[in-house]
Amino acid sequence: MKFECILSLAVLAPLLGSLLLPLIGRWSERTRNWLSLILVLTSLCMAAMLIPLVTAGLTVSVQLAGFTLFYADTLAVFMAIVSSLVGAVIVLYSFGYISHYPWRNEYYFMVVLFLGAMMGLIFARNLLILYLFWEITAFACWRLIGFFREKSYVLKADKAFLVTVGGALVMLLGFIIIYNQTGSFDLDQIQKALHGRPIANIAVVLILFGILSKSATVPLHTWLPDAGVAPSPVTALLHAAVLVKIGVYVYARLFLTGMEIEPIWHTVVPAIAAISALVSAGAALIETNLKRLIAYSTISQIGFIFLGLSIGNEIGIAGGLLYILMHGIAKGGLFLCAGIVEQNAKTKDITKMGGLITTMPVTAVAFLLCAFSVMGIPPMGGFFSKYMVITGAVTSGNIVITLTFLVGAFLTIIYLLRAFTLVFLGESKLAPGFRPAEGSPSMVFSVAFLGVLSIISGLFINFPSQLVQTAVHQMLGLI
Amino acid sequence: MPVLLIIVPLLALLVLNLPWMRLMNRLALWVGLILCLIQFFLVLHSPSFFWEAPPLWLGRLFLFAPSLDYLSLVMFLAIAIVGASALLVCRYSIHDLLEPVKPGACSHKRFLVINLLILALTGMNGVVLANDLFSLYVFLEITAVASYILIVAEKGRDAFEGAFKYLVMSAVATALILAAIALLMLTAGDLSYANIKLAMSASSDSHIVLAAVAMLVVGLFIKGGLIPFHGWLPDAYSAAPAAVSVLLAGIVTKTTGVYTLIRIVLSVIGFSDTLENLLLLIGAASMLVGALAALGQSDFKRMLAYSSISQVGYMVLGLGAGTILGLAGSIFHLFNHAIFKSLLFVNAAAVEQQTGTRDMNRMGGIAEKMPVTGCTSIIAFLSTAGIPPLAGFWSKLIIIVALWQSGHIAYAVLAILASLLTLAYFLSMQRRVFFGKLAAGFENLKEANVWILIPACVLAAITIGVGIGIPWLFETFLLPIRSLL
Repeated sequence: MKFECILSLAVLAPLLGSLLLPLIGRWSERTRNWLSLILVLTSLCMAAMLIPLVTAGLTVSVQLAGFTLFYADTLAVFMAIVSSLVGAVIVLYSFGYISHYPWRNEYYFMVVLFLGAMMGLIFARNLLILYLFWEITAFACWRLIGFFREKSYVLKADKAFLVTVGGALVMLLGFIIIYNQTGSFDLDQIQKALHGRPIANIAVVLILFGILSKSATVPLHTWLPDAGVAPSPVTALLHAAVLVKIGVYVYARLFLTGMEIEPIWHTVVPAIAAISALVSAGAALIETNLKRLIAYSTISQIGFIFLGLSIGNEIGIAGGLLYILMHGIAKGGLFLCAGIVEQNAKTKDITKMGGLITTMPVTAVAFLLCAFSVMGIPPMGGFFSKYMVITGAVTSGNIVITLTFLVGAFLTIIYLLRAFTLVFLGESKLAPGFRPAEGSPSMVFSVAFLGVLSIISGLFINFPSQLVQTAVHQMLGLI
Repeated sequence: MPVLLIIVPLLALLVLNLPWMRLMNRLALWVGLILCLIQFFLVLHSPSFFWEAPPLWLGRLFLFAPSLDYLSLVMFLAIAIVGASALLVCRYSIHDLLEPVKPGACSHKRFLVINLLILALTGMNGVVLANDLFSLYVFLEITAVASYILIVAEKGRDAFEGAFKYLVMSAVATALILAAIALLMLTAGDLSYANIKLAMSASSDSHIVLAAVAMLVVGLFIKGGLIPFHGWLPDAYSAAPAAVSVLLAGIVTKTTGVYTLIRIVLSVIGFSDTLENLLLLIGAASMLVGALAALGQSDFKRMLAYSSISQVGYMVLGLGAGTILGLAGSIFHLFNHAIFKSLLFVNAAAVEQQTGTRDMNRMGGIAEKMPVTGCTSIIAFLSTAGIPPLAGFWSKLIIIVALWQSGHIAYAVLAILASLLTLAYFLSMQRRVFFGKLAAGFENLKEANVWILIPACVLAAITIGVGIGIPWLFETFLLPIRSLL
C-alpha cells in the first residue's frame, strides 16, 4: 500500500499540481516557480524511493476500478529518474531564462504538465493509458513550441503536433490490432493471451511508425529541428532529454518486455536507426543554426539508442538504456548552454559568434564536458554507453550496421568540435564592442551541474550500470 | 408521463404570450432555462414516478403512446444541455428592448427568439418520444419550421439565403419522408414502428417497401446534412444568429437527422448488408469531404459547420458497423458532439460579438485578451479531434474498434486518418484566431461577459468530466445500449 501511494504520487503530483500553477502565478511568481520545481522533485524522490524495491526484483502496481493504472518495474523507475532529474534541472534553469518573457504562467503549467504526463506514460501498464499520456505530451509540446507566438513558430508547433499525433493515430491502429488479437489493452493480459507467440507484423509496423515519429527518426524527423524555435529550456526538455526518449522507452516497454516480435525486426530496426544516425549526422555537419545543429545531433544519437535496444542481445539493451541516461544529461546540458549563448549573444548562427569563452567561461566548459560525453570520450558517462551499444552491435555480428554506426560516432566528434570551436574559440565575429555576458545564476548553475554530472556519471558508472543490469535482467525475464 | 416534456413547454409558451409584454419579456429566458434544467435533472436522477407512471388523462390528448428507452434518455439529456446553452447565448448576443435599438427594428427580438427556441426544443422532445412515423413527421416539421424562422431572426441577407436553402432542402426531405410514410401505410396499414417492422419482415423484398425505405433514409440524410445533401448546412449555420447556430449544430440536425436515422434503423428497418454499406459509404464520404472542406474555410462558423458534417459522418459510420459496439459509439459520439460542437459555437459567438468579425484571417492571438474563451476552445477542439482523455476520443475509439471488429478495416483506417484532418483544420483555426501574436486593432478587446462564459465553462467541464470518468460511465452510460438491440 505504501509503495502504491509513492507510485501514484510520482505521477499525480506533477500532473495535478500543474493545474494549480497558473492560479498561483497570478498571486506570486516566486511561489509558482519553486512549486513547479518541488513538483518535479517530488517525482524524482518518489521514483528514487522505489529503487530498493525494484532492484530486489519486485514490482508495484496501482489498481483502479479493476484496471491496472500504473505499474513500476526497474525499467520504469530508471526512466522516471532520468526524466525527472533532467526535468528538474531544466525547471531550475527556466527561473532565469523565462523571466524576460510574457506567458510565464502558461510556460510553467505546460512544462510541469508535460513532465507529469511523461511520468504517467512511463508507469502506464495499459496501452490506452499509454496512448492518453502520449497525446498529453504532444499537446504540451504544441503549446511550448509555439510559445513565442510568432506566426512561423506556431506553424512549426502545428507541424510537430500533426506529425506526432499522426504517428500516434497510426500507433493506435496497431494497438487496436493487438486488442483484436488478444482481447485486451492491458499488457499483462496481452502477454498471457499471446503465450510467447509473436504479435502480427502489421501491428509492429504501425506501432513502430508512431514510435519513430515521436523519437524523430528519419524519415519522420523533420519536425524536431524546426521545433528549435521553442524557448531553449523547452528544446532541452522536449527534444533532447525527455520527449524523444518516449519513443525509445515505448519500444523497450512494448517489444522488449511486453510482447514477442519476429526476429526479422532485430535487423530492420537497427537498419532504420543506422540510416537515421548517418543522415542526421551529415545534416548536423553543415548546419549553422546552433539549436538546429544540436537537434540533428539528437536525431543521430537516438539512432544509437535504437540500435542498442533493437539489436537483440543483453549488452546492447543495457547500453541502450544507459545511453538514455547519459544522452539525457549531456544533450540537456548542450541545449541549455545553447540557450545561454543564444539569449546573450542575440543570435543562433554559429558562423557569427566566436571567442565567447572569454566572457562565458562556465558555459563554455559545461558545453565542452557535455559535448565530450555525447562524443563518447572516456571517462565521460557517454563513453560507457556508446561502448556497450557498439559492443552489442559487434556481438550480433552485423558488420555493415556496426561500421555505419562507427562512422556516425566519428561524425559526432567532428560536428560537435566544429560547433564548439566556432562558438567559443577564435576571434569574436559579433558586433564590435558587444561582449555577451554569462547567464543568470540559476542558468549557469544548471549547465555546470549537468556538465559535472556528465563526468560523475562516468566516474561512478557502477551505480547506474547496476540499475540498468537489473532492469535488463527483469526485462528479459532472467529473474 | 414523459409526454409532459412536450406539454409543459407548450403551455409555457402559451403563458409567455399572454398580453403582459414587459413582464413576460423578462421572464421568458428564465422559463426556458428552468424547463431545460428540469429536463436535465429528470434524466440524471430518473425518478421512476416520472418516467414509468401510467399516462395521465393529459396523455390521452395525444394519439400516440410515447415510447421511452435508453436512447431517448440520452437525447433528452443532450437537448436539455444544448438548449440551456443556446438560451444563455441568446441572452448574451441578442439585445433586449430595454437597450437602445434602431428605429423600426423589432424591439422584442430576444423574446421572439427565446419563444422559438423553446418551441424547437419541444419539437425535438416530441421527435425523441414519437413511436409512430406520423407523429415523428409532425414533430420533425415543428422543429424545422421553428428553425427556419430562427435562422432569419437577424434579418440579414445571408440569413435569408441560408434559411431559404434550408427550407428548400428540408421541403424535399419532408416530401420524401411523407411519400415514404404513405407507401409504408399502404403496406402495413398502420404507422407505429412495431407494426411497420412486422409488415416489412413479411414482405421484405417488395419493391414498394424498398422504395419507401430508400426515400425515408434519403430524407433523413438531407435532414442530417450528410454528403451529398449537405449544401444547405454551412449557409444555414453560418448565417444564423449565434444562439441559433449553437442549437442547430449542437442538437437540431442531430435529432432530426441522426437520432431519427438511428431510431428508424433500430425499430423499423433493421440492419441489412445493403443498408450497412450505404451508411458506411455516406458516413465515410461525409467524414472526409466535411473535414477537407473545413480545411479551406476562413469564416469561423462555416468551418465549424463543415466540421459538423464531418462529425456526423463518424456517427453514421458507427451506425453502419451494424454492431452493438458501433451503435454505442455512434450514440456516445452524438452526445459528445452535442457538447463540444455547442461549445465551439459558443466560443464562435463570443469571438464574433467581441471582435465584430467571423473572418479568421483578420483575427490573431485573441486568447491573450479572451483567456476563458481561448481555453475552452482548446478543450473543445481537442475533444473533436479525438485527443485523450477528452470525451471525443472515447467515442471515436469505440467507433473505430467497432468498425475494425465488424471487418470494415478500410473504413476504420479512414476514420483514423480523418482524425488527423480534424486536428489539422482546428490547428489552423487556433493559429489564426487564438494562438499567436495579437493582431492589430484588437488592443482594446475584452473578454465576453458572464452570460456566455457560463455555458462555455459548463460545457468544457462536461467534456473533461465525461472523458475522465469513462471507466464509470462505461457501466452506466454505454453498457445499457445493449438493451436497444
